[in-house]
Amino acid sequence: MSWETIIGLETHVQLRTKSKMFCGCSTAFGAPPNTQVCPVCLGLPGALPAANRAAIGLAVRGALALGCTVHPKSIFARKNYFYPDLPKGYQISQFDQPLATNGTLSFVSAERGIVNATIVRLHLEEDAGKSIHDRFAKATAVDLNRSGVPLIEIVGGPDLRSPAEARAYLLTLKQLLEYIGISDCDMEKGSLRVDANVSVRRAGEAALTTRTEVKNINSFAFVEKALTVERDRQIALVESGGSVTQQTMLYDSKENAVRPQRSKEESHDYRYFPEPDLPPLVLTPEFVAEQQSELPELPAQKRERFMAQYALSREHAAVLTASRAVAEYYENVVRAPADPQAAANWVMTEALADANDHQEQLRVTPAALAQIIALVKGGTLSHQAAKKVFGEVAAKGGDPRTIAESLGVVQVADTNVLAGWVTDVLGAHPTEVARYKKGEVKLLPFFVGKVMRLSNGKADPKLTQRVLEEKLAAPA
Amino acid sequence: MSVSREEVLRIAQLAELDVDDDTLPTLAEQMSRILDYVAQLSAVPANGSVKAFVPGPDAIRFRADEVTPSQLAFGPDEFAPDFKEGFFVVPKLGQFE
Amino acid sequence: MSDAKAVADRLVKAKRLNALLTPPKDLRKSLNMQVAAARPTGVLYGMPVAVKDNICTLEFTTSCGSRILEGFRSPYEATAVAKLKAAGALIAGKTNCDEFGMGSSTEHSAYGRVLHPLDKTRVPGGSSGGSAALVAAGAVPAALGSETGGSVRQPAAFCGVVGIKPTYGRVSRYGLVAFGSSLDQIGVFGRSVHDAARVLSVISGRDPRDSTCEDRDPLRLPTVPESLQGFVIGLPKEYFPSELDPAVRRACDRAIRMMKELGAAVREVSLPHTPYAVPTYYVIAPAEASSNLARYDGVRYGPRFNGATDLRGLYRATRGQGFGPEVRRRILVGTYVLSSGYYDAYYRRAQQMRALIAQDFRNVFDRGVDLLFTPTVPSPAFKAGEKLADPIAMYMSDIFTVTANLAGLPAISLPIGRVKGLPVGGQLIGQAFLEDEMIEAAYALERVVPPTDEA
Repeated sequence: MSWETIIGLETHVQLRTKSKMFCGCSTAFGAPPNTQVCPVCLGLPGALPAANRAAIGLAVRGALALGCTVHPKSIFARKNYFYPDLPKGYQISQFDQPLATNGTLSFVSAERGIVNATIVRLHLEEDAGKSIHDRFAKATAVDLNRSGVPLIEIVGGPDLRSPAEARAYLLTLKQLLEYIGISDCDMEKGSLRVDANVSVRRAGEAALTTRTEVKNINSFAFVEKALTVERDRQIALVESGGSVTQQTMLYDSKENAVRPQRSKEESHDYRYFPEPDLPPLVLTPEFVAEQQSELPELPAQKRERFMAQYALSREHAAVLTASRAVAEYYENVVRAPADPQAAANWVMTEALADANDHQEQLRVTPAALAQIIALVKGGTLSHQAAKKVFGEVAAKGGDPRTIAESLGVVQVADTNVLAGWVTDVLGAHPTEVARYKKGEVKLLPFFVGKVMRLSNGKADPKLTQRVLEEKLAAPA
Repeated sequence: MSVSREEVLRIAQLAELDVDDDTLPTLAEQMSRILDYVAQLSAVPANGSVKAFVPGPDAIRFRADEVTPSQLAFGPDEFAPDFKEGFFVVPKLGQFE
Repeated sequence: MSDAKAVADRLVKAKRLNALLTPPKDLRKSLNMQVAAARPTGVLYGMPVAVKDNICTLEFTTSCGSRILEGFRSPYEATAVAKLKAAGALIAGKTNCDEFGMGSSTEHSAYGRVLHPLDKTRVPGGSSGGSAALVAAGAVPAALGSETGGSVRQPAAFCGVVGIKPTYGRVSRYGLVAFGSSLDQIGVFGRSVHDAARVLSVISGRDPRDSTCEDRDPLRLPTVPESLQGFVIGLPKEYFPSELDPAVRRACDRAIRMMKELGAAVREVSLPHTPYAVPTYYVIAPAEASSNLARYDGVRYGPRFNGATDLRGLYRATRGQGFGPEVRRRILVGTYVLSSGYYDAYYRRAQQMRALIAQDFRNVFDRGVDLLFTPTVPSPAFKAGEKLADPIAMYMSDIFTVTANLAGLPAISLPIGRVKGLPVGGQLIGQAFLEDEMIEAAYALERVVPPTDEA
């Protein structure tokens, strides 16, 4: 019996603003506890919210990038529940009139190719503080620095068919949001958080089945694992004659297991009602247009353009557009100028490998990389030598040619010098010379190699080859 | 309409209020009377076309995204009932609750 | 400039009313410091203004008449208070009130009831009863109160002083402890229309911290008019029912006659949805209150009750013991009407009814009526304890005042006579942000009506 898995993700994303959603406190991560707080985000008696323009602008950008309909009027609502890190006893969110609805996120599924997943809605809300359970022995510690940080919640439709697809969807979403610069999407820091709705049904059936919500997935590495565990649990349950009950499951990454949240602590009656402290969120066409104009070229568009403009394969274009910084770097190298294909190879191999080892810093300037590429093309540097120069420039900076010279790796293209080396090599290997002359021309690289070694790699290989051929063709 | 004692307890749980057994009957009776009284609203012909009225400005005002001083004359350590090492302290609530 | 000691002495003399929650020692100490710091150029320089205990001040505790905030010192002050201080006024202590503003008699205070200054067996009205009583007793020339359904005008009428509720959005609510956010406004009491109006003028105007406060300049005070020539005063028939206390009706008739003599045109009008105002109010206000009062959970401020060892226990003990019976009742009703399955029947219905009530007023004003005149309360101050057992009877004393809160309109109550020695208030309801016209008419009426004569 085969099973189909149905997954929909609800993603919370912290917006990259200087101040909080409804007050002027800093959003900077990592400050000492309860130092970025004020009457508003502490929920003191009498305090009132005042909405941050930048947060609303970033949320609109996110909605536009996801192809959502941005509503000219939306309403803030209170979601009421008690929790120690929720200072007002309600979260200011949006309910029946959200900021944006009905968008799409296209991603590549290993199983199904390109999938257009529905974005049901995108709304604005404020973050809660943090409850820390392992700080004190018998008590919970509450830090409200995060209270009031602006969030968007992106509700995806039940369009994902496997844990792997959920991961692909989430990575694509993360890439998009990073691209447009509205969030740093760091799951480890909690600036991107995901909850999943999961259900299973027998393949071919269309009926809706009971779903569960999986929470506490706090790293990209756990997305696929957590959803696989929950899917397998549901399948095993149904196959053994049981049925899935609607509940919230918490993922435990240490055990790689899910367990139900204690039901008595669940209160699904949030008593939403319109937030009386905030008038309707009215967006003028000018405001939306301003946000549209702030949007950069999106990853998918950029990928298509790279393929067309630089004659790159889809795979190479995808690697080079995976992050906005890399794409910009690549284009700057090409503009420096450099051959697009050679630039692509260099960026994808040397530059990204170096960045990977050095806190994602692209340490060699585009101009320097373009120069290195030119030195290879002009025969001044061998490919091996160029890699050495790249490493040196990355570590110390400076002019590639000067560095090549100081490293003594500039290729020798003087035929007189080469001819001397060639004569020495031929003289040292009479047997091979004899075999060559009898027709074993495949020995040519052997001689080239010897010349290279003799020259400490400085000999220009192409020129060496030519001089060798001339000498070997000459009558003895 | 009448509100049962069970219903009062359910609502009290949502509102995180202790209701003791002595006051429960009176409370149920008073809530029933109040809800009966306000229920006269449903006798008015329901007109779906009537939009809710909210006083105040028609549109939200935007605040510039600037970090401003916190406006606290003194810190949480001076008003919190239990404050330790920079944290508000509450009785334990397990991670999986 | 009144000196600190004289100001404090006058307040301490009124101690028997239980209207002031600030201990005399704290009051004297703070007044000394305030007098030294007050700005001599301010338009209210040296004027003592008592402040209702649900408005945040740095000088004194802010307990909202509740045990749940007993001893709470706010680390910030309300915008209205900051504006008063900037104008040179002295914050003359905190006044007793119904807990979180929930009540019409100031009997629902955790710190004991306030006595009516003219008859200690009666209530001063509420919820801002302490502020009204202090002004009536001559302890301060003016005081701040707050309104959700009539909590300034009703006690002003009971105590025989002037009370103004401004248009919703005229005065910043920042630092006013929320009860029903879409209804709440800070209001002002004064011995005279002028005292109340000039304090209102100072606290009014824009505040970026309150998103519901209109981006407008402070109220400009009108001059005292010679006549009411050109004013059209509407008398809504629903506010003069046959069962209205005959003495209250007599006082109103006299005031109406005087307005006519001043040249006003008077005509009967109708606000047909008036009968539904109190039930509408008693859905919306508790609903909003149930959410606004969720923050009192014993986590961040205020006392904790009972040594609860688990979190739910802490919540329930703190809230169960910290809130008084009326507040608990309203939180439960409010939670009920917002809960799943009941929202449409109660809250949505009430919101629609609120729109019809606001439309009633617009219809009347659109037909050329400038102001409405009504009794403020159907009867004079009632006996303490009289309505405690019957919440709905208590709610009915708001019947003529809640409409202005529901519609967000400005209204003023001023004394228009007495009945067996007890004050009667007349109410003028104005158009949104036209407080100046309303105050102009009140000036004129105040000059001619005998406030202490039997009707």
